[in-house]
Amino acid sequence: MIDVKNLSKSFGSHLVLDNISEHISPGEKVVVIGPSGSGKSTFLRCLNLLETPTKGTITFEGTAITDPKVKIDKIRQQMGMVFQHFNLFPNMTIRKNITLAPVRTGLMSQKEADDTAVSLLQRVGLEDKAEAYPNQLSGGQKQRIAIVRALAMKPKVMLFDEPTSALDPEMVGEVLDVMKELALEGMTMVVVTHEMGFAREVGSRVLFMDGGHILEQNSPKEFFDNPQNPRTQLFLSKVL
Amino acid sequence: MTIDIPLIAWLERMGPRLSNAFLEGGRWKLYLQGLGVTLELTVVALIFGVLLGLVVAMIRTAHDQQRLGHRNIILGVMNALCNVYTTVIRGTPMLVQLYIWTFVIFPSQRNKVLVGFIGLGVNSGAYVAEIIRGGLMSVDQGQTEAGRSLGLNYFDTMRFIVIPQAFKNILPSLGNEFITLFKDTSLVQAIGGAEMLYYASTIGGRTFDYMPPLIGIAMMYLAIVIIFTWLQGRLERRLRESDRR
Repeated sequence: MIDVKNLSKSFGSHLVLDNISEHISPGEKVVVIGPSGSGKSTFLRCLNLLETPTKGTITFEGTAITDPKVKIDKIRQQMGMVFQHFNLFPNMTIRKNITLAPVRTGLMSQKEADDTAVSLLQRVGLEDKAEAYPNQLSGGQKQRIAIVRALAMKPKVMLFDEPTSALDPEMVGEVLDVMKELALEGMTMVVVTHEMGFAREVGSRVLFMDGGHILEQNSPKEFFDNPQNPRTQLFLSKVL
Repeated sequence: MTIDIPLIAWLERMGPRLSNAFLEGGRWKLYLQGLGVTLELTVVALIFGVLLGLVVAMIRTAHDQQRLGHRNIILGVMNALCNVYTTVIRGTPMLVQLYIWTFVIFPSQRNKVLVGFIGLGVNSGAYVAEIIRGGLMSVDQGQTEAGRSLGLNYFDTMRFIVIPQAFKNILPSLGNEFITLFKDTSLVQAIGGAEMLYYASTIGGRTFDYMPPLIGIAMMYLAIVIIFTWLQGRLERRLRESDRR
């Protein structure tokens, strides 16, 4: 589904990603963990070209999206993204937040989009918030809305960039529950997170990144019970 | 009683001067006519300036937000032109610009108010461009990223997400620009445009008494600025309230 070949990214002279190659298959739940500054967020943001790779190619369903001629908007319509700071649009109601993109990109009529919004909001238990504004919601509610907003585009893959890092501890659970449910439905997911419990429970594969490299990857059980790389062992000994 | 006498004497002397400056031969109509032209100059120049500023700000912001390795040459050239424009206009005095428009670029144009529209509008555009650009940049980058990550194109993202949020941040500075522009219209007098100061100095010259007409129009400028500042404050409060919805 997503094929990354020899991906490098530098900001000025600072090399953040160093020659990464990785393949993500349909239905996989890839969890990316690692210390701050390891390049895991940058890696995720390269997948939908929010960051432009310095070198290398990224192929999504057979299309080389790193090709400058590719219509990146069309590709991004199939890749949902959830941000650490939610990034809901404060000038619109929740309904408008959800329906803006499907309607403007021609995916749905306003009526279809409204119906989709209602059913998605019911799924996350926030159907009564359709006419509210983002500022009236709690962090956990905002993040659930952000997930719904991305889902309204009916994406083939969902990218999560530390979706629970900006939340109060008591609100982490409600967001993770929505993500777990999404995983159970078979959504392809790439999740950058510090939630080791989520990685172990939901992930089909765990990547450990540090210094712009993927140092180790394995099934969650093997990864957490039997880490191979000394850097991984050190990291896990600190966070678990 | 001793205090009142000089005051009364002063008023007695002022009466005829005031009447001469404002009432004689229906002169008050001239002030109003001048005020009309002044307001017209302000509004037309501001509209012109905002349109010009919006285009310049969009070009400069679009240029700055290009993806690396996707540099568009046409956009690069337009950005350079915009840069020259804002630098030259903001780096030279308004009166010099008005003289250049009048005596160098349009020497045969008899309608000096029209030249004033152009001079003030072009000048205001450069300032408004920077105001708008600042406003657009003040909107969190995450908003643009969220819009683009949903597959919205650059213009939809600007139109529905960034510009509405920037508007609130721009409004105070735009109000100040309006006030500055309103007062700067008096410079059009120097190129012969018949606005408020033009009539006041003409009347002053004719009656050999400059004080009443000049103080008079100063009060008119001040009154309008105070009214406008009050309106602006109300509008801003209203917009801030919608934040707390």
